[in-house]
Order: sequence, then structure tokens, then C-alpha cells
Amino acid sequence: MKESVRFVVNGDPVEVLVEPGATLLECLRQDLGLTGSKQGCDKGDCGACTVLLDGRAVLACLVLARSVEGRRVTTVEGLAEAGRLHPLQEAFDTQGAAQCGFCTPGMLMSACALIEENDQPSRQDVREALSGNLCRCTGYTKILDAVVKAAGEVHQARAAPKGGGKP
Amino acid sequence: MTGRRPVGPAGPGPGSGEGAAFSVIGKRNRKVDGRRKVTGQSIFTDDLQPARLLHGKILRSPHAHARIRSIDTRRAAAHPGVHAVITGRDLPVAYGIIPWTRDEYPLAIDKVLYVGDGVAAVAADDERTAEAALALIEIDYQVLPAVLTVEDALAHPENQVNTFSAKGNVSKQVRLTFGDVEGGLAGAEVVVEDTWFHAGSTHAAIEPHCAVGDLGADGILTVHSSTQVPHYLHRELSRVLELPIDRIRVIQPAVGGGFGGKSEPFDLEFAVAKLSCLTGRPVKILYTREEVFAAHRGRHPMLMTYQVGARRDGMLTAVKARILIDGGAHSSFGLVTTYYSGQLLGAPYRLPAYEFDSTRVFTNKPSCGPKRGHGSVQPRFAFECALDMLAERVALDPIELRRRNVLGADTRTVNEFRVTSNGFLECLAGVERASGWKEKFRQLPFGRGVGVAGSTYISGTNYPIYPNEMPQSAVQLKVDRSGRVTVFAGVSDIGQGCDSVLAYIVAEELGVALDSIRVVTADTDLTPVDLGAYSSRITFMAGNAAIAACAGVKRRIQDAMAQAWSVPPGQVRLADGFATAPGTPSHAVPIAEAFQAAEARFGTLGGVGSYNTPKDVHGSYRGATIGASPAYSFSAHVAEVEVDDQTGQVRVKKIWVAHDCGRALNPMLVEGQMEGSAAMGFGEALFEEQPYDERGLHRGPSLLDYPLATTLDTPELESIIVESGDREGPYGAKEAGEGPLHPSIPAIANAIHDAVGVRLTRLPFLPPRVLAALETRRQAGLSWKGRR
Amino acid sequence: MLPLPPIRYLAPKRLRDALELLEQGGRGRTAPDGDGAQRRGPVLPIAGGTDLVPNLKHRLLDVELLVDLTRIEEPHLRGVREVAGHLHVGALTSLAAAAADPLLRQRHPTLAGAYRQIGSPQLRNMGTVGGNLCLDTRCTYFNQTAFWRAALGHCLKRKGTTCHVVPGARGCVAACSSDGAALLTALGAEARVEGVAGDRWIPVESLLQSEGRRHLALLPGELVTELRVPAAPPGRRAAYEKLRMREAIDFPVLSVAAVADLAPGGACRSLRVVVSALSARPRVVTGLGDLVEGRPLDDAALERVAAQAYRQCHPLANMTADPAWRRAMVPVLVRRALRRAMEAR
Repeated sequence: MKESVRFVVNGDPVEVLVEPGATLLECLRQDLGLTGSKQGCDKGDCGACTVLLDGRAVLACLVLARSVEGRRVTTVEGLAEAGRLHPLQEAFDTQGAAQCGFCTPGMLMSACALIEENDQPSRQDVREALSGNLCRCTGYTKILDAVVKAAGEVHQARAAPKGGGKP
Repeated sequence: MTGRRPVGPAGPGPGSGEGAAFSVIGKRNRKVDGRRKVTGQSIFTDDLQPARLLHGKILRSPHAHARIRSIDTRRAAAHPGVHAVITGRDLPVAYGIIPWTRDEYPLAIDKVLYVGDGVAAVAADDERTAEAALALIEIDYQVLPAVLTVEDALAHPENQVNTFSAKGNVSKQVRLTFGDVEGGLAGAEVVVEDTWFHAGSTHAAIEPHCAVGDLGADGILTVHSSTQVPHYLHRELSRVLELPIDRIRVIQPAVGGGFGGKSEPFDLEFAVAKLSCLTGRPVKILYTREEVFAAHRGRHPMLMTYQVGARRDGMLTAVKARILIDGGAHSSFGLVTTYYSGQLLGAPYRLPAYEFDSTRVFTNKPSCGPKRGHGSVQPRFAFECALDMLAERVALDPIELRRRNVLGADTRTVNEFRVTSNGFLECLAGVERASGWKEKFRQLPFGRGVGVAGSTYISGTNYPIYPNEMPQSAVQLKVDRSGRVTVFAGVSDIGQGCDSVLAYIVAEELGVALDSIRVVTADTDLTPVDLGAYSSRITFMAGNAAIAACAGVKRRIQDAMAQAWSVPPGQVRLADGFATAPGTPSHAVPIAEAFQAAEARFGTLGGVGSYNTPKDVHGSYRGATIGASPAYSFSAHVAEVEVDDQTGQVRVKKIWVAHDCGRALNPMLVEGQMEGSAAMGFGEALFEEQPYDERGLHRGPSLLDYPLATTLDTPELESIIVESGDREGPYGAKEAGEGPLHPSIPAIANAIHDAVGVRLTRLPFLPPRVLAALETRRQAGLSWKGRR
Repeated sequence: MLPLPPIRYLAPKRLRDALELLEQGGRGRTAPDGDGAQRRGPVLPIAGGTDLVPNLKHRLLDVELLVDLTRIEEPHLRGVREVAGHLHVGALTSLAAAAADPLLRQRHPTLAGAYRQIGSPQLRNMGTVGGNLCLDTRCTYFNQTAFWRAALGHCLKRKGTTCHVVPGARGCVAACSSDGAALLTALGAEARVEGVAGDRWIPVESLLQSEGRRHLALLPGELVTELRVPAAPPGRRAAYEKLRMREAIDFPVLSVAAVADLAPGGACRSLRVVVSALSARPRVVTGLGDLVEGRPLDDAALERVAAQAYRQCHPLANMTADPAWRRAMVPVLVRRALRRAMEAR
């Protein structure tokens, strides 16, 4: 018998009826049609299903759907705002960080969690933050490039004075 | 860190731009599908959720080798929520990617050949129900002796693995001799001889295979699949399902990585098609990760003995190879693999005499097939290690030894392959300079070292898999009065970016902004045939087809504008979204207006172009066509390593990757291929192997136990693009997706030798193996760089 | 997909409610459902789920009801605090939070560092300190899918009668794969165990048992709710070394925790060396007192300790990494841990 779970996904409150034993990944992909989060191994080994749960990167294939009651989930579909790509998305695109694109959503979410905490990461910091996300295409070089570049842009935007009054 | 090192004036070859003023080509443009990929909007096969979708599962054999005495599916069929159950008897037509070796069934009929061999399939309301139904299928197996090693397979032909085999367990044997090999070895002043073992590896694309079959009310069967070869899949579906090919449509959605692992039909594609035909509903099967390991078709384990003869000055005199290949249960591409294991060694060095004797055998393990650098990564590992040993023996710098033996451009290899452009010397120079080779080789302290290796690879195979005279690639254009151009092509973008490459070429040729190009690919109803994403063929072949498709359209547009402006057609330039006549500023209109002028004059605009290979690029001996290509890429790597002599752990600090891709149509994408290739080779060198136990059970069919390198393991990679400008490649371009994998492994092996003085001959270089080699050295009392 | 079996799920807010659910399940009694329905079956606790969920997907455990501990509000289950000089770490503290905790980093930097090396960022965000300590033992013949284990013929730890690691063995030799367990043992930490019937503190060393199928000395329905790490005396030197295939994600194939207490002059007062990823229980290397106490931990002492550890530690073929190599690495890691401990301040 299906059970109800209510949570907020990408800012929108949702109520979903899920199978007992459904994971958050199944719920997102099958019930909510949010197919951006990918299933690569379904047991926590690859990172393709990484989403943010209350702002922290987690593996949606290991999270019980029922357990996110009342919590905040962000998926790759929630990164762009009002049709504008997130700086990470823009950098992944312009730096060639997405080849097949299958690991990309998970990579972006891990990178997003990093940049939220630290918008001046070293290349090694980025390596650490993405160490749970496997990519088989890129050798990671361009992904690291993209995250460092995006972090720089986020940092500048944060450092810029708010309000934008004319000189 | 990247840098481009052009070799003189690049850019002969088809395509306009006259070598200099490109608008799109050579720029670091976005990919056409990039923004969809970074937002999660790209639709992969498992993202398809049509209404009334059923979910399928395949029951697999727990035995490596067994006869199926009986199968009873009645309980499964009666299970609530189950809509159809099929077994091998429902799909009794043998198939195989190579028409001469059709030796597998979609689901086993009489015999299972490996643990994980498919036996039956179920379609049900959901995956849980399908899985529950599998448990209700009763199979009576008679277990047979499992043949798990090459030695066992050859010693016991009576235990035949694949009953389609003509001769015991031999899948294919090739022996070819070029020149006076025995004389060359006898006359050599130095002969290096050793045996190397490449353990094989698997693709492990992050996207598991997935397929959706859907028989429509109109009788059209549509199969969406994460395949690299929609055209070959289309043909095999028709054969096996015994449906007319024009009633089948194959669509390849976005593919989450292939690397050769999706380049032939798999059981799930036949199963979803058949189950949909039986139920009249769409049926999806998504492999579990464990099933991906069973599907395999990865790199063959090869045991390789080489004798390499040379003079004191390092000049090669002869090379002789004997290679044993573990093929697993089926032929797959094995006929080609067996040839490639020898045929692709003819460059980048001039071999005065060469012989190889390669034997592929069947074993009761998942079938091996083509993995990135098909058939030639293993011999390249062995041979480049042998060259390093040779350099040591004749006291030459290993780069210098390679330089002396360079094959050169516009020549033929010992096995008669035509070689056109060749930037190998520049590749060697590039990595020598960038890595600081001269300051490092033999001069880093004990435990640290550098190693070099070179390689070559094909830009497409010269012949299709099934013999025919038709084009290997084709492009159709729809040119719209809105200024938009739609490119239709059968090519398979599996992440390498070929959809984007076609957009760049058409944008360049017709002067259209990139955002005005739409690319429609890999849909057998809509797109002209391309043979697929294998053998690094698409940029070269589809790229030329695209240029050809643009030519007529371009001419009509130029003619229309020439008439309007009263200038010669040759003076009408199409670039950057405008038609212009340079020199006359008033003669400039947005490209859409130029399209309209042409449409008004000539009628609806469109174009077709196709590519076929030249046929005079190889010899006439039996097998001479296999390994022949219209052009060859060249690569050289230098790897720098650190070896922990207490634990045996190897850390690769950096790999400098130089690659002659002819011309980089988008340097960012070329670098991506170089980096990805080098990283994949690195993983094979240090981490990846697939041990099987005595039952034929894979010891770790998961992404935890089969370790793909993480961000923290992967070295820094520096790409050095070399542009030799091939006269037949589009704008001079050649391949970049597979060649740069090859040198990684021997460069690392040679760097380990430079670091600690041991020659590792068995892949992967796991710490226990490194430590054992160090121990042997210690016991022999040998010192290296002042250390014992 | 590897579907989970149908599982009931409850997420009580009070520890007492969780313990009652676990106790009823643990004793094979019926556990009440939220809607009052009664069902019978095993009840398991879940927190981060990084160990349990893959194990359930592999059908390594039977379960009818999962009791999610993460909604429990009692404060002692979360965070790091100091009580009478000792550090208390709530069992529900995430590994990431523990690794970053200023107090833990200051008082026991080695422990914080060990937590920082576990798995991957996502696994550390999800996994908890309590879950890590209680991590099920792992084996190459056990941590596989149901299909794989059926093809193998099952094993002692689940549904089978034979051990594939040590043929003929009566006991299960699956390996302790917890980074925390080895170091907490070496640090002399204790675990607070709470159940319906009571509340007790037991040394981590006695919590962990040598039988791979029952590697925790917990009564049915009991939970580890917090850890207590005794104050480090002045002169404390500690280090943790582990070997693994990759620099992230992987479980250790061998690990060594070393904790030395030095007198002001540098002489060794006590030394604890714990080697793990061998079989179910971390091995405390014995007989070190005679080898090092009262003497400086110089190179000669390191060699004696390394040799002692080598004699006592016998890695088994319970993982694919070569056991002979892992054994050869015991003294190497012991030496490195001790050197690093001596260099640490």
C-alpha cells in the first residue's frame, strides 16, 4: 500500500504517494518526473543520483522516500533560476565539462554544495568535494576547471556591493 | 593547462575557409546539447516514461556452463501483474555483429555460456513485480564443466563453449608475415624478448544499458535504445524478430557513455521488442549494474610475447608477436579484434619486417568485444614497453629511439596500409618539451620517474561490417527561409560531441550562426544511414558528408546573391550570419535573406552529401582490409609517477598527452577526448581488472569492486594538440577519441621503471605486483639510482 | 533498479518510542503500525542508511519495519560536547559534522581526520558516527546481490552453511570495515547502549565481537546512542593509517590506529596499536608493554612493535585485495602510524 510523503522540491511543496521501500531517487524520477537525477549503480557507488537534502549532498538512491518528510530537496532541475543557468551550469557548458552528461547532474549538485560553503576553493578542494562522483568520459580535468571558474564568478557576485546604485 | 602546437599550415582537406579565416571551426564553441545536459533536460533512454509502460526483467543463468533441460514459465505467467514471459524459443534466430560469426541467441536456447547469460524475460506492471515473477520460473540445468582459461579452452576442445565454433574452442586465428622476419631477427644486434599480459577491462559507462520497445497500432515497432550503433541494431532487430526492416524504427536517445560497450545488439533490445509485440504495450528494460558487467564486450585479456630486433643504433630490424586472446563466450567483434591485435602495430614506427600470430579462444565468461582502442591497446602496451627495454639496451634516450624509427607521412606501413598525414614527431617533441623530459629522465630521485610511449589509431574502418558499396555516412540538410538549417544524420552522439561537430561544419559552410542549426540524429525513420559510433569514424566520415551536403546549397545561395549584386558567385561570402561580398560594404544581408533569394530562384533548398572511403589504401592479401583506414591519428604521452617502495602503490602525478588529430574542429572537444582517453588508460594501468572465481563468477560486478578512478586518484592531464592537416579529413581533421588512450599504459609502465627500476609486464599494476617486482630486484641485489 | 523489499517505516521523535519498537521487533513480538495494525517481522534501526540500504537492496537482511532514528529529538544523540573532560559524540552526528567539529578536531584530531577520510562527501553527509561504529562486517562473498550469492551457493553469514574465505570454518570472518572502530578502540572509547530495560556504558573494545554474524554485543532492541572518548592526557600521540584502492569511496583493506602516551621526557608510558579490516573485530596488538614502556619510541622500538603486529595479524581472503600483501603491509602501516604519531603535536 502506498504511503504519502510531503516535502519541498526545488522550492515547490509536493505530496507524493510512494511505494513502501521506494527510494528518493525512484520518487523523483518516476513519481515527480524529475529525471535529471540519474541512476548509475543504485547502491551508492557512483554519485550520479546526488541531490541536495536540506542543502547537503546526498545519494538519492540510498535515501528512503518516506524519510524526506518535511525536508527540502534540490535537484539539477532546480539549479537554474528563471531560465538563467546557474554559474556552475554555464561553466560546465562553456568549459566542456559535460561529455555524455550522465554524471553531470550529480557532479553539479556536489559542486553546488561545495560552492555554497566555500566560493574560493582550491583545485584540491574541488577534487575532494567531487570525489564521490564518478565520471567515465572526461578524466575530470574540465570538470575541475569548470567548478573553479564558476566558484570565482559566484565569489565575485557575492563580493559585489548589493543594490547597484549608479556612481 | 592546455596548449596547441600547430604543425605548419594546417588545413588541406575538404571544406572551405582556405586554411585561415574560419568563423566556427577551430573555436571553443559550446556543444549543441550542452545546455540541455547541464540542466537535466537531456532525455536518456531510462528517462522515457510512455503511458502504459511495462517493465521487463531478464532471468539469468547462475552457472557458467550448463545445458538447459527444461524451462517452466507457467507460474510466472500466471503471477498477478505479469503480462508476458518469453524464453529463447521465442527468439530462435542466431545473431552476431559480424555477419560471419552469428553465434549468439537473444536468450539462451539449449545451453548457457556464462554466469549472467539471459534465459527468459518477463514484462510486468513494474520492476518489483517483474522481479518477483522471475523467481517463479523453473529451470532444470545440467551443469557442464566450465572452461575459464585460454589454456583450458585449447587443451579441451571437447568441452566446447560455443557450439557455433568450427574448431573446438578456437574463435579465430590469424597469422600474417610481412618481410623477412627471421632474417631481421637473426641479423639484429639486439633482440628484446618478453611476455606481457593485459588483463582486459570493461567500459563501465555510468549509464547502464536501457531499451524501450513499443509496437504501435500502425504495426510500426519503435525501439529506443542506449546504443552506439542504431543502424546495425535496426538490421539485427529485423533479422531476429523476422519483421520487415521498414516496419522497425530505432531511435537512440542521449547515451550516457559508450566506449564500445554499446556497439552491438544486446539481449534487452530483442526482449523489449518481442515483449512489446506480445503485449501491445511499451516495455522497458534497464540493466542493473551487475547485468552491465555480464553484458561486458570489454577489452580482451591478451597474453603477448614479442621479439623485437634492432641494430646498435636503435633502428628496428624485425618484430615478431605471438598473442593469445581470451574472447569469452561469443565472437562479438572478435574476428576484427584478432586482426587488430596485429594489424595496428604498423605505425608510428617503420617496421622492416613484421609477423604476428594471434589466436582468440572461447571461454565460459562474459563475451569480450571492442573497448576504446579496440584490439590495439594491449599490443601497444607490450610493444612500447619492449621499445623502452630496447632503448635501455642500446643506451639511447627512449624518445630518441622512437624518433629514429619514425614512419613518416605519405607512405605505406609494412603491412601495406596507406598513411597520409603524420604528426608523430611533433607529438614526441611536444611531450618532451612540456614534461621537462630532459631534466627528468633518469634524473629524478629513486621512487620518481617519467616514461614515454607513442601510438597510432584509425580514423574509421575502411569497410562497413556487412559488405556493401553504399556510403558509410550521409547527411541531409533542410534549409529554411527563416535562416535555420536542420541537419539530419544517422550519427550516434554518445558524449563525444559528433552532433556538435556536424553543427560546426554546417554553420561554417553556410555562414549560419550556431544557434540557428538544429541537429536531428540517430533515428532510422528520419536520418540517413551512418554506421555508428565505433572505430573513431564519425568526424572523418560524417564530417566529409556534411561538407558535401552543404556544397550544393552554398552554390545556389552564392549564385542567387551573385545575381542580385552582379558579382561573380565566388565573391559571395557566407559567414557569421551574413551573406557579403567583401569589398562592397553595401553588399551585406542577413543570411535568412540570402536563403530566401536562393529559395525564390531555385525552389526549396536542401542538400544531401555522403562519404565513402577510398579503396586503394591497403594491400590485397587476405585480411589486408582490416585495420585499413582513410587516415591515422598519432599520439605520444609522457607520464610522471611516484612509487611507494614500501607498499607498492603507484601514484601518477601527471600525464602530458600530445595528439595529432589533423585539425581540431573544436579544441575543447578534442582536449576532452584526449583527457578522457588518457584517464581511461590510466585506470586500466593501475586499477581495473575482472577476476573470476573457479565457478566463472565475476568477483565484483559493481562500481564499488570495479574501481573507476575518482577525482582524487586521477592525475593532472595536459593536452597538446598537434595539427598535421590531413588532405582527406574534413578541414584536415582526423580522430581524437581512441588514439590517445593507447600510450597511457606503457608510458606509466615505463615511468615505473624509471622510478624504481622494475619492468612490470602484467596489468593492472596493483600494489602487490609492484611490490613483488621490487622484492625480486632486491633479492637479486640490483641497485637503481643508487638505491637497493 | 535494485528494488527494496516492501518495508514499513516509522520515524519516532522520542528515543523511548524507538527503543520500544526495536525491543518488540527484537523479541519477535508484533510491532504496532502507525495505524494500529499488527504485523510480525524483524525491526531494524536506520539512520544514514549508507550501509543498511545497499545491504537491504542485496537482500542481506530480513526486515519488516524500519525505525528511522533521525527524527529523535533527545539532544545527547547529536553533536559533540565536553563532559568532565571527556568528549561525548552523539551517535546521530553525521560523519561530516564530526570531521568538521571544532572541539573534536582540537581534542582528538586523529579521530576527526579518520572520519574525514571515510567514503565520499555524500556518504559522510549521510552516514553517522553511530552507524559507522556499528557498520555490518563486510566480505567479498557476502556484499553481493541476491543473484550473485545464489550463483555462489550462499555463505555462512547469510542463508548458507559454508564459509568461502576459510573453508570448513564454523565462524564468520567478515571484516570490520569501520574506520571509527579501530581508532575508538585504540582511544579507549566507550559506547552508551540504551534499551527499554536500561542504559549502560561499555568499552568499544567489548562492544565489537569476533563473530562476523553477530559482531556487536548488543541485546535485542538495544541501540548505541553516544560515544565517550576519554580525555587525552598530556603527551598523547595518535595516528591512523589506512590502505585502500582509491583515495575515496573505498572501504579500508587494512587499517592501523596507534595511540601512545609519552612521559615528559619522551619515554613511552603506554602504547595501544589496533589493526583492523582483518576479520570481524579490530585486533588490539598485545604484549606491547614489555616492548616499549618506559623507553623512547625510537626506530628500534618501532621495529619491535611492527614485528609484534605482524606476528599477530593475519588478513584473510575476505576481500579481493591480496591477503599476503595485506599481511606484508601490517608492519609498514604500523611503522607509518607510529612515525606520524610521533611527528604530530
